[in-house]
Amino acid sequence: MKAGLEIHQQLATGKLFCDCPTDLTDTVSGSVVRRLRATGGENHLVDRAAAFQAARELAFRYEAGPSSCLVELDEEPPHPLNAEALDLALIVALLLDARPLDEVVVMRKIVVDGSNTAGFQRTALVAVDGQLTVGGKRVSIASVCLEEDAARKVGEVDHEVRYRLDRLGIPLIEIVTGPEITSGAEAREVAAEIGALLRATQRVRRGIGTIREDLNVSIPGGARVELKGIQELRLLPRYAESEEARQRTLLAVRDQLVARGARVPDRRRVDVTALIPGAGGGALSEIVRRGGTVRALALFGFAGLLRSPEGETERLGRELADYARAAGVRGLFHSDEVPLGPLDAAFAARVRSELALGEADAFVLVGARDGAVAERALELVRERAAMALEGIPHETRDPLPDGRSRYSRPLPGRDRMYPETDVPPVPVRPAHLERLRAGLPERPEVARARIARQHRLPEPIVRQLQQAGDLEAFEALAARGRSATGIARLLTQDLPAAAAGEAGTIELPLETLDAVLAAVEAGRFAKEGIPPVLAQLLQGAHDLPEAVSRAGLASAGAPADLDTLAESVVARNEAMVRERGAEAFSPLMGDLMREVRGRRDGKEVAAALRRALDRHRAPTGPAT
Amino acid sequence: MSAPTEGDPWKRLRGLPMGQRIELTAADGRTWRGTIVPAHELSGDRVIQVKLESGYNVGVHVAPDDRLTVFDPPVPASEASGPAPAHPAPARAGVGTAPAVALLLTGGTIASRVDYRTGGVRPVEEESEILSFYPDLDRDGPVRVVPVLDRLSEDIAPEDWQLLARRIASAFEEGARGVVVAHGTDTLAYTAAALSFLLEELPGPVVLVGAQRSPDRPSSDGFTNLTAAVRVARTAAVGEVLVLMHAGLSDDRFAIHRGTRVRKMHTSRRDAFRTLNGRPVGEVVGDTVTFQAEMRAPSGRGVRLDDRLDGGAALLWFQPGLEPARAEAFVKGLRGIVLAGTGLGHVAAVHLPWIRQAISRGLVVIMTSQCLEGAVDPYVYATGRELLRAGVLYAGDMTPETAYVKLLWALARAPDPAGARALFLEDRAGEIATRREYPGAA
Repeated sequence: MKAGLEIHQQLATGKLFCDCPTDLTDTVSGSVVRRLRATGGENHLVDRAAAFQAARELAFRYEAGPSSCLVELDEEPPHPLNAEALDLALIVALLLDARPLDEVVVMRKIVVDGSNTAGFQRTALVAVDGQLTVGGKRVSIASVCLEEDAARKVGEVDHEVRYRLDRLGIPLIEIVTGPEITSGAEAREVAAEIGALLRATQRVRRGIGTIREDLNVSIPGGARVELKGIQELRLLPRYAESEEARQRTLLAVRDQLVARGARVPDRRRVDVTALIPGAGGGALSEIVRRGGTVRALALFGFAGLLRSPEGETERLGRELADYARAAGVRGLFHSDEVPLGPLDAAFAARVRSELALGEADAFVLVGARDGAVAERALELVRERAAMALEGIPHETRDPLPDGRSRYSRPLPGRDRMYPETDVPPVPVRPAHLERLRAGLPERPEVARARIARQHRLPEPIVRQLQQAGDLEAFEALAARGRSATGIARLLTQDLPAAAAGEAGTIELPLETLDAVLAAVEAGRFAKEGIPPVLAQLLQGAHDLPEAVSRAGLASAGAPADLDTLAESVVARNEAMVRERGAEAFSPLMGDLMREVRGRRDGKEVAAALRRALDRHRAPTGPAT
Repeated sequence: MSAPTEGDPWKRLRGLPMGQRIELTAADGRTWRGTIVPAHELSGDRVIQVKLESGYNVGVHVAPDDRLTVFDPPVPASEASGPAPAHPAPARAGVGTAPAVALLLTGGTIASRVDYRTGGVRPVEEESEILSFYPDLDRDGPVRVVPVLDRLSEDIAPEDWQLLARRIASAFEEGARGVVVAHGTDTLAYTAAALSFLLEELPGPVVLVGAQRSPDRPSSDGFTNLTAAVRVARTAAVGEVLVLMHAGLSDDRFAIHRGTRVRKMHTSRRDAFRTLNGRPVGEVVGDTVTFQAEMRAPSGRGVRLDDRLDGGAALLWFQPGLEPARAEAFVKGLRGIVLAGTGLGHVAAVHLPWIRQAISRGLVVIMTSQCLEGAVDPYVYATGRELLRAGVLYAGDMTPETAYVKLLWALARAPDPAGARALFLEDRAGEIATRREYPGAA
């Protein structure tokens, strides 16, 4: 597998081309409805990805509110490029050993899916030719760009897509790696390291959706496919592997099609509306009842290859259906699915005879209320089927929650870029670069080594803290005198565990975390009590004492009480103690820990249990 | 590939055609490879712009010891920067039997494209270019494209209004049912007022239309504005000069304004155009054109054009501190002046002496208001009464711009100041209203 990454990180500055705040908001003060169409750029060639989207003829509703102004609405020209955001991009470029350009030119990248009110995204190349070493391997950095984030999609009904403007214009740094990545796990490592590097600037936005990855994957004989907008790092390996599997399956299907001499007719579409029963034909009958049409396309030599091969999940039929959907239909039926949903084999036979098909041939059915839509859908299916004879199409795909992906649009080409003439080019002067170079933040690998040394922590733990973005909190708590191992455990284990059950992202203030660790160090409750206490704090306990009390740890007793508890546990299990001797320790320790419930340290509990066991196993104890 | 250039590459670079593929290597080994594209006019010294394979343009500073390699053959200039139509030009006439609409081009944003050299937008120069931007224009019937001017509207002058009026008259005489004029928005309202006075009778609508976003942008309002304007020109039973632009910020409603009552009220919004002292006369929603106001019917006798305008008038915006001597010098040699006064129509009392003198020497002095909304009234304050007594003519609720255009028109038709004053006060094209409704009382 050859893979490359595009990392997009939101910056914690103002917006890139206006002076709006960057807070996402639920307040909507009004909305406007717009249409977009593909236009030519400098050389007047309409980009095929752009033309494709425009063909969908959607209307877009944009919701404005406190985080947007006339600039986001495309009602006022962009302001000059945000200088702070450009400096951040230059700092990141320098950290990646990339070379900044002499003059940064803002470009318009045509995107007519509605996510930008203008119909283009503003983007500027800031630096090229960088590198990064991850796990001893050098990964090249092709480019560092500064671009504006898109509007946030909040809904879609019929032919209207709703976007909120709060996110539009938030500055993004885009880092593109070379295609040297060879596995999903490696992609994850590289993305994590780049994430750490971005956070080292301390001026990036945090939280869900503030960093997004695009993954480019190709296998030998396959094609570059872009999986766009993966929000979770841990899913990168899964998407990489499933894309690899998809390309492999489709290449195998290709080989079979070629061996069979399969072909896709230029024009062999037949209106089969009359063959669809008025009832009992499911979605197709419904379409016909509403006055729509159903059309069929012949695929010679495709029989049996539209469904998944044995043991595989991917199939060509799904690819064809994705293309059909892009034309605005719900999906399609194909002859490898006989019976065709609710339609029977006799129906399939009638379609076959209508199309004059042989046994090795397949057909595809598409229904739509508008005949032109059905026609366009079948044309896209025909194009996709023809590509199946060649191999894997270059395309952009949307990642799905199940680890697979869905076709979204053709891969955009260079034709979609032309200069943003409303924004003057920005010179990058050597003296300015020198000033930035002098104040560069600590590189992630340097920070890791320093912290590991300073706090005597294993480097993997430090790396884990860094990749989770917790190094800053770690250092702040350590500066307050908390123990390094205690902090590391709290941040890497207890806090994620406690937060796992909570909806959304609730952050506990540093003071609270400090108080929890201080209470443990003072012996007010044991470290085993940290997770329940954190859980109470996340669930809304007002302060630490309340959280401790709600967790049932308020009465952490004196050492004598622990001995009494141990005594009673041993006494209840007298028979087992006699039978198993020292081996009774483990099961009894479990019982005793449950009774102590985090109020006491595990070591103390074990010591008390040992004392109680010793007393019971003494052959002749003094009578009491 | 040719051999690397010896010596300072800057000179050779400047002589290369746009679209030329080059490679530039700096002393430290840094290399840029791509095609030369026009540099932004605000680009730095010794900076060329190169379009990389990725599509990005970058600014590269050229040092005297850089090594330049020029590849051949060069990419044809048209592919890199020239105007090659994106779509084949549609057939120009003969679609069905729908009545023909003439589309007159004058330049402006609606008929502009980005100029990659200056960074600004420039008017298209060829008919095929506008058709490449608006390939669906003649979907409902023939549209005949007539290039008249290729200017941004700030460069349009009164003689251009006269030329345009003559071309509109010709278009009707050649059988057009309605005329659309694509125009820059900055001075569109002046042109609309001028055409309203010059075209005394019209057999169909003349619809001026513009765009606040150039048509090279997917979000351009030009597409929908032009489509709606063509629809009005094709269907409306109106013999007047109209302006059609977005009614709001959405692409689904368009306001139709009367040519003499409209003004650009925002620098950049799509709905910048507003009818002052009233409501738009009509609107277009979807395919439906409706008029709320009583409109002049198409003339049964064809076009009547009188294209005379007098150049001897000007518009002066009064401000506190304006020295009387400066104002007096400004009106020297003029036959008429429109004052944009304060409030109900005032200028500082220190200006009364020169105004009295100028009027007595034959200058026609018109008073309008900087408030734009509401009518001027000379009777409320003493200064107004003094100005009235001095012979200043109060222009009711006419906009200062319309009053200026009308004064050029009136001066051209009257042998003396008294005649011009009389003509000025006649309502010719709906420019003077005697009622101003409360907008809430629909």
